[in-house]
Amino acid sequence: MARIFITGIGIITSLGESPDENRIALKQGKCGITDLELVQTRYAGKIPFGEIKIETETLKNQLKATESGVTRTSLLALHALEQAINDAKLSAREISSSETAFINATTVGGMCLTDELYKDSNKLSIKSSYLSSYDFGSVAIYLQQRYQIGGIVNTINTACSSSANAIMYGARLIKNGYAKRVIVGGTDSIAKFTLNGFNSLMILSPETCKPFDNNRNGLNLGEGAAYLVLEAEETCKSKKIYAELTGFANTNDAFHPSSLSSEGDGPFLAMKNTLDVAKLSPHKVDFINAHGTGTENNDEVESRAMLRLFKEVPSFASTKSNIGHTLGASGAIEAVYSVLNIMHQEIYPNLGFENPIESTKLVPVLSYSKKEISHVLSNSFGFGGNCSSLLFSKI
Amino acid sequence: MLYIHSTSCISAQHTFDDVNLVVLNPVEENKLLAVEPNSNQIPNAVLRRMGKAVRMGIKAALSIVNNQSELKGIIIGTANGGMEDCIKFLNQIIVYDEGTLTPTNFVQSTANNIASQIGLFTANKNYNITHVHRGLAFENAVIDAMMLIKEHPLDNYLLGGVDEISTYNYNISLLDGLYKNEEVKNNNLYEIETAGSVAGEGAAMFLVNGKKQNSLATLRAIQTIHATDEKIIASNLKDFLASHLADGEKLDLFLSGENGDCRLNKYTKITEKIADTTTLRYKHLTGEFPTASALSLWFACNFIENKKVPNNMVKTGSIPTEINTMLIYNNYNGIQHSFMLVNR
Repeated sequence: MARIFITGIGIITSLGESPDENRIALKQGKCGITDLELVQTRYAGKIPFGEIKIETETLKNQLKATESGVTRTSLLALHALEQAINDAKLSAREISSSETAFINATTVGGMCLTDELYKDSNKLSIKSSYLSSYDFGSVAIYLQQRYQIGGIVNTINTACSSSANAIMYGARLIKNGYAKRVIVGGTDSIAKFTLNGFNSLMILSPETCKPFDNNRNGLNLGEGAAYLVLEAEETCKSKKIYAELTGFANTNDAFHPSSLSSEGDGPFLAMKNTLDVAKLSPHKVDFINAHGTGTENNDEVESRAMLRLFKEVPSFASTKSNIGHTLGASGAIEAVYSVLNIMHQEIYPNLGFENPIESTKLVPVLSYSKKEISHVLSNSFGFGGNCSSLLFSKI
Repeated sequence: MLYIHSTSCISAQHTFDDVNLVVLNPVEENKLLAVEPNSNQIPNAVLRRMGKAVRMGIKAALSIVNNQSELKGIIIGTANGGMEDCIKFLNQIIVYDEGTLTPTNFVQSTANNIASQIGLFTANKNYNITHVHRGLAFENAVIDAMMLIKEHPLDNYLLGGVDEISTYNYNISLLDGLYKNEEVKNNNLYEIETAGSVAGEGAAMFLVNGKKQNSLATLRAIQTIHATDEKIIASNLKDFLASHLADGEKLDLFLSGENGDCRLNKYTKITEKIADTTTLRYKHLTGEFPTASALSLWFACNFIENKKVPNNMVKTGSIPTEINTMLIYNNYNGIQHSFMLVNR
């Protein structure tokens, strides 16, 4: 089966608008979680978010995306996708080839326009320009049309593990001969819909989240997008290669719609099966980019699953206290961060941690350091028990 | 190559228990609402919390996964998941001005809820995924299943497509011009030369693996296209048939996704011409929705298994005595197209 190489990356988060900006902020232990400025909600100023401080109209102009009906979710995607394509030096001809696939992930889609959706769906006003922009598919359809992407195009929504699954699906398209190169990733913007949803579940922290800390009290929502270009070994011989995608797995915890089982079967199997696919023994993993949302449930279960799989748990950290939980984008954003770990042979600190969880005693990485990194495992677990892990390796 | 071993379908017609495609339930107010079967497998208290998409999905799924050997994956295509719950929650946000809200609708509304509920009910910890790419959500689920079978030929997978009509997506799609403004019936949907179709909903599930023995039907190949130019669709279809049909092999049936929208006739006309065989239509039975193609695959399996096609579905040509090879073509709103080649 073909080896899958990463030849391009693009990203936008509350830490920065490029891989470089994100890396510098991660090294410095910066936190992009702040009071909301751009979303109209009664929670602005009360709950912090990983908000990107660029207005939607500004993004439209910067990206020359002034067609009607383009949403913030699509704009964030466009920003990161363009970077990834340019980084991998994909030509227009390559992009429009039937051998180039595009796999997107989103859980918000056009629902970031909560108020417009309310009016259109209840027929309360004359129709808006967003009628075909609300659904999940709208983002990928817009980008396909803009870039004339010629191969398979798809959108995946498995809640918080969506873009890890987009990466996995794209890699399998290459391995099974459906594509030679794939652009994979995800995007989500902060929506009144999701913030009220998470708030109704009482899992939003009123302060900056504290992944893996004993006194953690919930997650922060964030927004962002990230895309990676994956290419089959034979199509990228003369190209720069950042890393190899060597393992992936998707499992289900099959326990509860919105929380993980205490044994953490889903997370455990996702990590274990990923290493099995890569034929890598657990002690070879140098670093884990943990899901680490900062909720009571996730961090304890994820810790248990790590203790179950690893005799000695490798260095691990969550970047959720840097940028918040970016939902459908988080798997792809953390894939880019994993690639940065490998490219620069370094690891970044887990912010907000003070004391280990009593039952598991695990301590994440607390400061920036250089480190020899051959293999990074990245976790994404979601509602509906959808758990996925990815393994990135140095070549 | 994907072998289909068992199927189920919930639609506006009699497709679930006693299948009858001759006596049709009528279009009402331009909607074909799915007839939900009773279920004794799911407690009523649980069913009450679920939206219709989840109920249809889980009922259709449980009817074919029970007593089967372990599923190695649950692969669902749905454009919208639980749209009704989604907008109920949205309305709560607005009406209560973001006050204290109950999370039930929010949790039920997530698109992956259908696949995850099936996982919960069957205590299945394996591969579990939800494809949501609008008019190609089911087709991407098919591609996913085909890859899984190539990777693990002996394993069983559940493949399905589900979508519901909610008051809200009906309103949005109506405003967007997807449905007709004038009232239509099952028997004149294709005759009224206006824009739009009728709304539909349903769920179709398939138990699939890589084993030919005892299979009902074979899904030989699939292709998806994003384009609006009918010439691109035509040339892709010619290439698709050339590369997948054996020399001299002819199509016995063409199952067209024609939906009565006059703006889309150019696509069905040109594909019909290329298929050059008896043409069938099904959207006067199911209505139009993004994963209607899942139901088209169920129809194809039904025709192959029963060697019968109801007259009301024939557009042109005569029903062949043997049904071996079928082509299915679908398009959603003229921008997302798919071909599926199905065999006995």
